[in-house]
Amino acid sequence: MLWVDKYRPKTLDKMIVHEDVAQNLKKLVSEQDCPHLLFYGPSGSGKKTLIMALLRQMFGSSAEKVKVENKTWKIDAGSRTIDIELTTLSSTNHVEMNPSDAGFQDRYIVQEIIKEMAKNRPIDTKGKKGFKVLVLNEVDKLSREAQHSLRRTMEKYSASCRLILCCNSSSRVTEAIRSRCLNVRVNAPTEDEIMKALEFIGKKEGLQLPSGFAARIAEKSNRNLRRAILSFETCRVQQYPFTTNQAIPPMDWEEYVSEIVSDIMKEQSPKRLFQVRGKIYELLTNCIPPEIILKRLLYELLRKLDAELKHEVCHWAAYYEHRMRLGQKAIFHLEAFIAKFMSIYKSFLIATFG
Amino acid sequence: MAKRNGVVVLSSDDEDVKSSSRSRSGPRPKLKSVPTRSDPRGAKKKPRLAGPRSRSCKQSGTVDEFEFFGEDFKQVFTGVKVSAGFGKDASKELWVDRYKPCTFEDLAVHKKKVEEVKSWFEGRLQAPKDNYGSNVLLITGQAGAGKSATVRVIASHVRAMLFEWNTPTPTIWQEHIYGSNTGAQYISKLDEFEHFIETIRKFRTLSGRPSSPVVVLIDDLPLTFGRSAYKRLQNCLHLLVQTACTPTVILISDTGQSDSADDPARSLDELQSFLEKAGAYKISFNPITNKSIKRSLSRICREERCDVNEKQLDLIATASGGDIRQAITSLQFLCLDEDIRPASLISDSALKNGQNLPGDKLFVQFGRDETLSLFHALGKFLHNKRECESTSSLDEGKLPIRDKYLRLPLKMDSPEKVLGQAHGQARPIAEFLHENALDFLDEDAIDDAWTMLSYLGDADVLLDTLRRNFAKNSDIEGILQSCAASVAVRGVLFGNDHPLPPRWHSIRKPKLWQVQKLALNNKDELLRQRDEYHGSSDLSVIATEYTPVHRWIQHKQPDVHQGSVLDCGTGDGDEDTTMEDQEADPSDGDDEIEDW
Repeated sequence: MLWVDKYRPKTLDKMIVHEDVAQNLKKLVSEQDCPHLLFYGPSGSGKKTLIMALLRQMFGSSAEKVKVENKTWKIDAGSRTIDIELTTLSSTNHVEMNPSDAGFQDRYIVQEIIKEMAKNRPIDTKGKKGFKVLVLNEVDKLSREAQHSLRRTMEKYSASCRLILCCNSSSRVTEAIRSRCLNVRVNAPTEDEIMKALEFIGKKEGLQLPSGFAARIAEKSNRNLRRAILSFETCRVQQYPFTTNQAIPPMDWEEYVSEIVSDIMKEQSPKRLFQVRGKIYELLTNCIPPEIILKRLLYELLRKLDAELKHEVCHWAAYYEHRMRLGQKAIFHLEAFIAKFMSIYKSFLIATFG
Repeated sequence: MAKRNGVVVLSSDDEDVKSSSRSRSGPRPKLKSVPTRSDPRGAKKKPRLAGPRSRSCKQSGTVDEFEFFGEDFKQVFTGVKVSAGFGKDASKELWVDRYKPCTFEDLAVHKKKVEEVKSWFEGRLQAPKDNYGSNVLLITGQAGAGKSATVRVIASHVRAMLFEWNTPTPTIWQEHIYGSNTGAQYISKLDEFEHFIETIRKFRTLSGRPSSPVVVLIDDLPLTFGRSAYKRLQNCLHLLVQTACTPTVILISDTGQSDSADDPARSLDELQSFLEKAGAYKISFNPITNKSIKRSLSRICREERCDVNEKQLDLIATASGGDIRQAITSLQFLCLDEDIRPASLISDSALKNGQNLPGDKLFVQFGRDETLSLFHALGKFLHNKRECESTSSLDEGKLPIRDKYLRLPLKMDSPEKVLGQAHGQARPIAEFLHENALDFLDEDAIDDAWTMLSYLGDADVLLDTLRRNFAKNSDIEGILQSCAASVAVRGVLFGNDHPLPPRWHSIRKPKLWQVQKLALNNKDELLRQRDEYHGSSDLSVIATEYTPVHRWIQHKQPDVHQGSVLDCGTGDGDEDTTMEDQEADPSDGDDEIEDW
């Protein structure tokens, strides 16, 4: 088991980061009345950990006994029936799923499946009707239609069912949903907090941390706790005892992107563009999301770029990121961005060096 | 066969069919022919339908099978009952037959080609036949290019006797089952053909009059199904080419222009090159030019005394796409239409507006639909052939365009038309263009690459608008499809401002398809992993964070056990290879893509 999973705090009391949020949540659920919740914040900030701990707080240890189910749902959509396969994680009191896995059929998931689940109310020990909790991940990736039907579902079944939504960016969740939930912002942990977490793990594992080493990992992690713990573990595998100036291995795909960037900077021609296409295909084959590739590309390019070009390059990156979301074949837009960059950079080189 | 029969007898339905067919077809039950449904003609037609079956090889001088076929066609065509007995009524004859060329002047085929064929004939018939190798002439060309007509005219010119192989009337399976009662044998077409070839190969003359030279004409190769049958046909033709002692002409219709995805067409193409390799002399006929089609048409018009104006002739000629048979039939149809309709029915206003209006509209429907293969169309777009100098600069009334956006006129039909001919769908077209377009760009033309890719991106966005917003409305879907295809194609044409000088390029199938498939496989794999040990966290997180770490740790772990932890420097280099290995791994799905 990776350290990320091994040292994930199980209860709200044990949280190392976001202690304040955890305490507030604890108070919230102890007062019986729990509203719908929307957790949002950057990746690796601890949303999931908070949700899990919260569920445990609500239902006790039974919330941890989950079973994975891969079920095919038959949905009657007017003239035809649609089969949708979806994996769910469920305990007696809660169900967790990623409706966006169903792709453009997410609407049906939200409409039908959630409706069906919300209908069956569990009965608690005192014979009182309790409520069921639905945890929906990646709500921001749901289509607009799905979000609209989600709103309906929330209103209709609010007596029997609580929703916990989780997403990276609340801006892609419709107003209507946001206003029906208690919004919980989960900030990216500060570097100090990350260091604290790393030191905690180090102590548990019985490792000697040289001074400044945790700080370096924290700095590299870009305030992403999960990332920090993962690189901490790779460092451990790479070399122990640690040395202060030990290299922190980057993710392989990031390295690949920086390779692409140096390719782009070296030569600007259709031929080179074609070679780069091959490399991007490799990244896409490995399921690296195109948005992340584009973001990383821009990040690496900006590091190497002259200040006067930065503005224009950023503009085009934003433009093509938008196009990419509108379209379907990400490679067209990624490549168009690279071609545009090559063209800008080339004319810049010609203007500067003749 | 007895077994078969048993089955048939048991089934009462079939029994009915059989008995009815027997009653209908009278004395010769095994010839159940489809066009004789309307009874009174049935009995009369029997004898001549029986004819060609029994004689697969015959002299063209006697009864002409083609004419019989023509009559059948005409009966359906005009709806007039013409029985075999008085079928020679000249006014009812198809023009295609009536105006069959008899002299060299009548032939619409190019003079040089005719000359070439003629010299071959003369060479074969007069020179001593010592070199067997080239005793076979292969004539190819699209349907209606005048292949058979040329051979016939020349044969009659050099007074050679023409022996023909025409595929005998096929036996329907029911017929065969029925016939097997009476002891008739089923003979496959291939067998018959082999037998025929054997005969003409071994025996120099088949006619009773050895005085006149003999030429064998094979107009119609039997269709083969499957590899082994094809091999047999090939062997048999090979033998023919090698050892034929009578001059033999083989005609093969080209299917080159259509997507020859269907098997028979492809095998015909293969046969052509095979025959050529075996030593047959090949002459390929081009489609007939518009000019000669028009000349032939106006000749017919003169003789038929039809009043068809120049414009209409022009239309027919263009629409026929170089197929003279088609052109003549269209012409007849046009004239027919005006004959049938009494003048009183045409309203006065129509007469005032010009009588040719209805006609014009009418037979645009009658031309051959010209098709292009997808790759041909892609080639056109990618090579981006343009006129050398602008003609539009002289035109008044055109919007002034900045030089940057000015392009020379295209050397092709409008891209949309080409797309229509290739039956291209927007998505694959865009993908093919994306895959191949960069090859056709100049070394330095990175700006052009950007323009092109940007337009392809636009096409992609258009296509996706469709999926998101108008999933149910097929009209809008069609419009968006066309728009996207048009944007993609025109974008590529416009973007490629500095094309490379034309040279040979192969067009690749989009690698994107393979990538998508692999990505999908890997995604499934990731999903499975997620269910196993990561709870349900974000897929992108798993792909970008967990998986690389897993890979890294697994890659490193053995080293830790051996205690050698010093080679961390090499780790970086290895990562790329692991990434590539991963790629090669699930490659079992590739074949399906190849099959596309």
